[in-house]
Amino acid sequence: MASSWGGQNIPPAPGTGAPGTTQYFQPAPPAYHSVQVRQSFGITQQPPFIPAQFVPPPPAVSIPQPVTAQRPKTEWPASVRRYVQRCFDPKNLDNDIPRAEIEAKLKKAITSASEKEQLHSIDWDSLPLPQEKIRSDRVQATWHQQSVDLRLGGNGNGNTTLSQAAKKRKSKEMGDHEESNPPWRAANNQNGIESRITYQPLDKRQQQSKEDTTKASSKFQKNLEKRQKRFDGGYKSTYRSPSPDAAAGPVVGTCPTLFKQYFRLTSAPNPANVRPEHILTQTLELLKNKWRKGANYAYICDQFKSMRQDLTVQRITNDFTVAVYETHARIALVNGDLGEYNQCQTQLRVLYAKGLDGKSLEFKAYRILYFILTSNRTSLNDLLADLTIAEKKEAPIRHALDVRSSLALGNYHKFFRLYLNTPHLGAYLMDMFVIRERLAALCNICKAYKPSVKLRFVTEELGFESDADAAQFICDHNGQHLIEERDDGVHFVTGIPAAQLFEASKNAIGKPNGQP
Amino acid sequence: MDSFFKVFSAAYGGGDGYALADTLSPIAPASQPDKLRRFVHSTNYASVQNDFKYRLLYDKASPLRLNVEEGKAWVEVYVSFWKACVEILQAEAAINDNQKPSWEKVYRAWKEVSDHLNRGYTAAGFENWTVPCLYVVGKYLRMFAIKADEVASSLEQTTIDFNEDLSLDDEQHANLEDAARQLNKVFQLCLSDRASLEESRKWGIYSIINLLFKTYFKLGKITLSKNILNALRAYRGDMPELDAFPLSHQVTFKYYVGVISFLDEKYEECETCLTEAWYMCHKDSLRNKELILTYLIPCHLLTTHTLPSQALLEPYPYLQTLFSPLVRCIKQGDLSGFDAALAAGEDEFVRRRIYLTLERGRDIALRNLLRKVFIAGGFEPAKTGEGSVRRSRIRLVEFAAAVSLGSKETMETDEVECLLANMIYKNLMKGYIAREAGMVVLNKKGAFPGTGI
Repeated sequence: MASSWGGQNIPPAPGTGAPGTTQYFQPAPPAYHSVQVRQSFGITQQPPFIPAQFVPPPPAVSIPQPVTAQRPKTEWPASVRRYVQRCFDPKNLDNDIPRAEIEAKLKKAITSASEKEQLHSIDWDSLPLPQEKIRSDRVQATWHQQSVDLRLGGNGNGNTTLSQAAKKRKSKEMGDHEESNPPWRAANNQNGIESRITYQPLDKRQQQSKEDTTKASSKFQKNLEKRQKRFDGGYKSTYRSPSPDAAAGPVVGTCPTLFKQYFRLTSAPNPANVRPEHILTQTLELLKNKWRKGANYAYICDQFKSMRQDLTVQRITNDFTVAVYETHARIALVNGDLGEYNQCQTQLRVLYAKGLDGKSLEFKAYRILYFILTSNRTSLNDLLADLTIAEKKEAPIRHALDVRSSLALGNYHKFFRLYLNTPHLGAYLMDMFVIRERLAALCNICKAYKPSVKLRFVTEELGFESDADAAQFICDHNGQHLIEERDDGVHFVTGIPAAQLFEASKNAIGKPNGQP
Repeated sequence: MDSFFKVFSAAYGGGDGYALADTLSPIAPASQPDKLRRFVHSTNYASVQNDFKYRLLYDKASPLRLNVEEGKAWVEVYVSFWKACVEILQAEAAINDNQKPSWEKVYRAWKEVSDHLNRGYTAAGFENWTVPCLYVVGKYLRMFAIKADEVASSLEQTTIDFNEDLSLDDEQHANLEDAARQLNKVFQLCLSDRASLEESRKWGIYSIINLLFKTYFKLGKITLSKNILNALRAYRGDMPELDAFPLSHQVTFKYYVGVISFLDEKYEECETCLTEAWYMCHKDSLRNKELILTYLIPCHLLTTHTLPSQALLEPYPYLQTLFSPLVRCIKQGDLSGFDAALAAGEDEFVRRRIYLTLERGRDIALRNLLRKVFIAGGFEPAKTGEGSVRRSRIRLVEFAAAVSLGSKETMETDEVECLLANMIYKNLMKGYIAREAGMVVLNKKGAFPGTGI
């Protein structure tokens, strides 16, 4: 019963919100007869002081537990007992905090004190109550959570809030939060009136018990009051955090160096290390040149990543951004780096959707080819639905769509014609699934033709550069014995066994597109 | 208020979950168009909490004796419900005044109802017969979210932020995505109930799953549905069998699972699920049957190479316009007609995600065409003592001519060969191509399996 209090969060109705109402609805006999407390702490004597208005049920304090009797007797100092007493004083109990949680916290505090033999040295009278600790933990947790939310939810100030959150995490003190309004404002927005209501009774109760609250708790209380004031708008923050503020907008870079190594950001970017757009423009040109001169891909990729990062932190989204992503995507494609390619492609999709100019047709065609490569039927379906009639008529997209349909219908003849005439860099993507499709086509041919076909036919139908390439491909897949030299040229022996051979190779590299 | 409590206590006292869920319906029934308004006007912000508390917990005249905790939780549910109704009336009033209704506010308020209801299950021990409340609240949660998104997108707020990573769809469906998360919570709430089956909330699970599927489909995040199916699979042992659930839950669930496998090209699985859904579906719910057929027909085209009969399509004008032209062309083996019909219906096919599947129906059209060529080839000169045998050696050019029928350009023989090779490879046609001779040699018996020749 006691633990279910946690869910019983009953804020007073607006307009009636007096604490009296709340108490009225509290279960009449509170669950004070819980025995766990006593068991754990082995209080064997009646506490010397019982508040007049609160009579603890006898079992809670008087009956010695067998468990404790066996232990070496610990003499609990009066101060500890007073602390426990205070802890379960109805004035200090809060509907929000389950009793079990308080007990656990209390147990932890006393056990650890007892283990460290600090029972007598700790100032129990001024130690914050477990529920206060829980409350402050919770506040900190929501706080933390909210700053994280804020960052993820993205009011465009990710890095700033992150750094603030990091700072908050370090500071155990609750006193310095006036410098950061955003998390609280976010709290207000998110929970609306609820958050206010939840905390109000808590405040009131705290005021009631002001006499016996300790130094620490009154400090906490002061903070609550401060926060309350801020909620009411009667308290204007005067102190500004030195870190860039939401209002300050994105970082404006000042770094004049052209080349910079990529380094994953773990804190707010330093403007001194971020290159502004006019520098980046030069960087892009220089990088393109380096690339043409055959620079190492790892280096180029790293440079592009740092460029993309600089663009991101400065929130530059314009044609230049598109150019950077497009160039990087192309270079990644040429190097078969599908990971980076995909990152760029994802961003490009958004940039195009924002209406930015670029080679959107080229990249949409790549997307189609990519989905063919990964046999991603569902995404392909979605993409088809997104294409407009005008787009479907454009050469690169038309080509990609034809590739798709030729594969779906098993028309390898058409497929390899298309393969040899791929616009832009699509061939790099097609290269990645052409082996798969060649094997599928070979299976087809082997099963359908008898007794043999000329090797030349295979070369032409499957888009090989030369007969030698075709023969090499067949040999690579253990089909040496299928190639025969005859008077009228080189023949490729077909038939079911040959089909089975290529079927096995095909299955080894995955399911080809379009075949059921 | 009075009439409301009468309904509530009757439903609660009688343990009738659906009647109880009705009290949480934010739509006035046709018989009482004023129900919502009267309910809202029966109290006000200042006293709503106490009104409900009094009625549910302290009214000595009331026949109900609710457990205190549970009663308080119901109070919270109904207070938030009342507040949501206020917002709904305001939104409706705004529409009547030709102003922008704030469905977003309605959605927020309704989410509170959902939150309080969830809390009732986790903390206040709502019993499992009340799960229909979850259905109703979930259903309207989804609807209000969609309405809120519609308003938001009409306001055209294009504030994409370039934070960590860009994402496209978020701002269009912000509320619906939020609703999906909320529904997912309800799903977990049902799934993770460890009570024994008789009193388990698991009995609510398929209804919630169906809502989730609907939402994910609307969001275009169908892959998320698979997470649900995986979670379901993980709990399989502790779950009542699907056929123990209400029929309506079963049909919807089977339908969605069928469509999900359809999209994954698992046509066999799709066929099983959709066929079951088809047979269980209420005979009068034409709309649902139409939806099932939209996917079952293309599926059958691939799995069994069968076409829908005219009689089957009769009651569904939409399906007739959708499929009839294609069906006719496939039957006649009219390739160019098929291509034209496919192109004509492309937008709708793609929107329904059946384009890629229907496209493969071309194989069947081609098979029928080739079969016609074979039949037109007639019989071998009869030999004595034998029955008539079809001419089984057919020149490639005959097929080439047939394939090019109706299209303006002649297809290269290599490509025709390729099409024939495919037919043979897919076992739609038995025989082989003798390339050197320019001949296709078909089996004397069963050249076109399953077609009687």
